[in-house]
Amino acid sequence: MALRKIRIMGDEVLEKVCRPVEKMTPRIKELIGDMFDTMYDGMGVGLAGPQVGVLRRICVIDTDGEPYVLINPEILETSGEQTGNEGCLSLPGQYGQVTRPDYVKVKALNENMEEYILEGTGLLARAICHECEHLDGIMFVSHVEGELFELSEEDEEE
Amino acid sequence: MTTEVINLREIILGVLMEVMEEEAYSHVVLREVLEKYQYLEKRDRAFISRVSEGTLENLIQIDYILNQFSTVKTEDMKPAIRNILRMAVYQLKYMDNVPDSAVCNESVKLAQRKGFYNLKGFVNGVLRSIARNLDKVVYPDRQAMPVPYLSVTYSMPEWILKNWVDAYGFDTVETICKAFQEEPPTYLRCNLNKASKAQIIESLESQRIAVKEVSCLDYALEISNYNYLKAVDAFKNGWVQVQDISSMLVAEAADPKWGDYCIDVCAAPGGKALHLADKLKGSGFVEARDLTEAKVALLKENIERTGVINMQANRADATIFYPASAEKADVLLCDLPCSGLGVIGRKQDIKYKMTPAKQAEIVKLQRKILDTVYPYVKVGGTLIYSTCTIGAEENQYNLKWFLEHYPFRLESIDPYLSEELHSKTTQAGYLQLLPGVHHSDGFFLARLTRIG
Repeated sequence: MALRKIRIMGDEVLEKVCRPVEKMTPRIKELIGDMFDTMYDGMGVGLAGPQVGVLRRICVIDTDGEPYVLINPEILETSGEQTGNEGCLSLPGQYGQVTRPDYVKVKALNENMEEYILEGTGLLARAICHECEHLDGIMFVSHVEGELFELSEEDEEE
Repeated sequence: MTTEVINLREIILGVLMEVMEEEAYSHVVLREVLEKYQYLEKRDRAFISRVSEGTLENLIQIDYILNQFSTVKTEDMKPAIRNILRMAVYQLKYMDNVPDSAVCNESVKLAQRKGFYNLKGFVNGVLRSIARNLDKVVYPDRQAMPVPYLSVTYSMPEWILKNWVDAYGFDTVETICKAFQEEPPTYLRCNLNKASKAQIIESLESQRIAVKEVSCLDYALEISNYNYLKAVDAFKNGWVQVQDISSMLVAEAADPKWGDYCIDVCAAPGGKALHLADKLKGSGFVEARDLTEAKVALLKENIERTGVINMQANRADATIFYPASAEKADVLLCDLPCSGLGVIGRKQDIKYKMTPAKQAEIVKLQRKILDTVYPYVKVGGTLIYSTCTIGAEENQYNLKWFLEHYPFRLESIDPYLSEELHSKTTQAGYLQLLPGVHHSDGFFLARLTRIG
């Protein structure tokens, strides 16, 4: 397993709609492992295929120590509202305020191509929405309320 | 996706900025913020409420302390800096479990995040010297400067205190100020037409709510230890209504008779009007009016929940005369918009936002409403005038003005009140309730009979 190169906003690959995964292959298995490594390395809580240059409907999420693989995810239901600051590994160091549903129910396949339902609230709900949008070429910046802001290095050290 | 570490102090600063710099109401802003950040841990949410409410409650005292140490006075500071310093002083003075060094460091960082890199040194300097010298601050002397003493000790504006001290004397005003700083109790009015008192107490206690009886009203209960009112069965069933004792006394003093027609001209959320409807036991009629669609919706919600049949909510502007209502009411409730100085204990920021000029505007509105609606009362019928404020301008002076210009006379309210509330003024026909002196919010009510 290895770290993959994260594509940065401006890269056209981040604006494309991804193709569904039809069957599990050794290459996709390896991709999923690499995506987790890359996400944890970047201190992220979610990562989607296009962010590592692969236009397939795959994302990985880990907001609370529980890793999830979502293949061909489909959001079934959302409700509520939460507003908070959000960032993206494809736009390092920048954050912006985004309002998202507070509850999300999503249908997806796991790494064995078995269908499952995942329900999330709070941060997990936010991450599911953020990652699923990557698969349709949408970045969180299109939802930002107000200005993007930068966290200075000094802040991050402290 | 990546997440930023949520900065609780930045959230609190947002609350203070909205309330103190942008005219928003503290209880509304705080409720919205806690809803937004409901995924935060309970401890973090409690920190947000405690620091926001505490800073607002003690603002005058906090500014007094800041101005002893800063050469730039709080009113001349940049709004963000002023509020960062205010919440820091609150934590230094009132929260022993937050280390002083953490308060100073976090405030400096917050100032920097808000773009005041060049003021880092100022924030740091002021806060560190306050942290070191907090116990050496000299406060106004109680004997020599009674009004500044009360103002700084209880964070009450001096102009309000001056009026009150003139009317009630220093000791009573201090009692009132102390009462505002205590957690105000919650009272319920039981609708005994729907369930017996024993049944209601049993239902509340089965949900582990602490219930206490109230001496001056037998259908009132004081409750504590409840979380979320809308989950309380007795409330959902329409057996009880949340209402302060003072507000219950309105329907007591109105004392509607079987079959009476009642109009409440500023009714929302409807506590007093529902109380009248209950007292009529399904007879007569209560017309509950208010100005906006939102308030009428609130009234309708309460009518529906309690299932009363002799009450209706209507949208109507109390400053416009409706000829159809002329001489129609046996009982007219005029619980008018007011400065709200009686409920400071529940809404801390009211005291900073009210000014003598705003109060003069309110008095004008109160008189305009009275002038518009008094003809609705039948000759021989009753008009109840009430406000949730303290002070002569909106209460006694308005009453005097009204009696001089309109065909009404005051009537004793002693027959409708328990003996502990009797006084010379209740015998004359009006009552000023004072927090701390009475077990209620600050409230005024008068009973008038139309004589011509």
